[in-house]
Amino acid sequence: MIVTPKILARLVIVGLFGVLLQLTFFSQVELFHVSPDILPALVVSLGLLGGTMTGAVSGFAIGFLLDCLLIQPLGGASLVLIAVGYAAGTFRERFEIHSRLVAPLLCAILTFAAELGFGAVEAMFGIHTDVSVLVVRDMLLKSVFAFFLGWAIYVGLRRLVRPALVDEATVRRTRRPTVLGA
Amino acid sequence: MYRKQVRRRRAVLALLIIGSFALLTLTYGSGSNSLQRGVTAVFAPVSSVLDRALKPARDLINWVDETFDARGRNHQLEGELEAARREAVGAQAALAENREYRELLGLGKSGAIPEGYEPVTGRVIGLSPTVWFSEVMIDVGSGNGVKPHDPVVNGQGLIGEVTAVAGGVSKVTLISDHSSAVGVKVVPAGVLGIVKPTVGEPNTLVLSFLNSDKNVHKGQAVVTSGWSAGEIGSRFPPNIPVGEITNASLIVQEAQEKVNVRPYADLRNLGTVQVLTGGSRR
Repeated sequence: MIVTPKILARLVIVGLFGVLLQLTFFSQVELFHVSPDILPALVVSLGLLGGTMTGAVSGFAIGFLLDCLLIQPLGGASLVLIAVGYAAGTFRERFEIHSRLVAPLLCAILTFAAELGFGAVEAMFGIHTDVSVLVVRDMLLKSVFAFFLGWAIYVGLRRLVRPALVDEATVRRTRRPTVLGA
Repeated sequence: MYRKQVRRRRAVLALLIIGSFALLTLTYGSGSNSLQRGVTAVFAPVSSVLDRALKPARDLINWVDETFDARGRNHQLEGELEAARREAVGAQAALAENREYRELLGLGKSGAIPEGYEPVTGRVIGLSPTVWFSEVMIDVGSGNGVKPHDPVVNGQGLIGEVTAVAGGVSKVTLISDHSSAVGVKVVPAGVLGIVKPTVGEPNTLVLSFLNSDKNVHKGQAVVTSGWSAGEIGSRFPPNIPVGEITNASLIVQEAQEKVNVRPYADLRNLGTVQVLTGGSRR
């Protein structure tokens, strides 16, 4: 991804809007008693489109803003989302993305990893009570939601930053050959 | 050239990770700092507007969830499902809000809000996205007289306490957060205990007994004890409803000295809350 000032502005707006939408909408809705988490999917999409650096930096920035707005200890969410963004970027740099399912699948897998990461960060400072097995169900359902939401986020983001994508080939509809005399 | 690029990438990654750890070390356990207060002050109005604008869409999705939940239940719950349907209609959002305010008023009149406390009403404008934290952001802060450790209630009962305050927003740590512990008593049995949550199950709290000479029964109410012993004491004033005992078999009580409690407040679906400010227990 070639990050021009215009593209950077778009990415900043996407990050801000994503965090605000998560806090005011997605965290407050429930499907099967679980709230979707779009932030790992957003960072994964940015990593897939922009590579390791874009993924890691956007993970840090989005995590930092999340911690600021939730008045949590700064750096916890950043640490997890940096890893998620970097992993997505590494995948993009090492493998060709042939299938349309790659992005949503990666969103689902890395959302699960991110939820584990949030738990690990919290465990680092001590969890002073029992942990229910239902946490696993919660994380799995978040991953399923991330699969569908991640697909939409990836498609939307790809469209938004299309001018900056290096490997974006111009898709042209091929005309059918005209058969003379038919 | 490629190696240089790789080295630069690794350096940036290392810098970001070290920066995150440094921030975590510096800010852990220090409450809110000036940077966070500034950022929340800037974004609180935007969050508030977004929160109100997105409420009909949230209600619709939550209605779908409640509909799935209600499937397979018996006739008794069909009435509640009907009520949920009615609530889902966009125009009913204001009605639901009014009901919350009426419940809050009822809580005050019933004596559940102790004397000496001034309730400040606020709206939930943000929730933590992960299962590991049970924290919400509300749109009242130090400008409204809110201070850290103020108890927070809604129409049904206790929901948590204020743990960080900025100009126009505050962070409320819910009683379902793993860091929470509330001193309670079972009424009318008078058994004292501590209610702690189970991570991943916000609708189940665990009451561990402090004195277990009496048995408790299913359906008995659990309220804050508000105990004090000299200079130390519970942060919560006495007699705020917390929940009711859901499972109280004698064998479990005697073997483990703990029972399950269902909180009165629906901690997954919070709208309007009241912060009890001005009390002496800080």
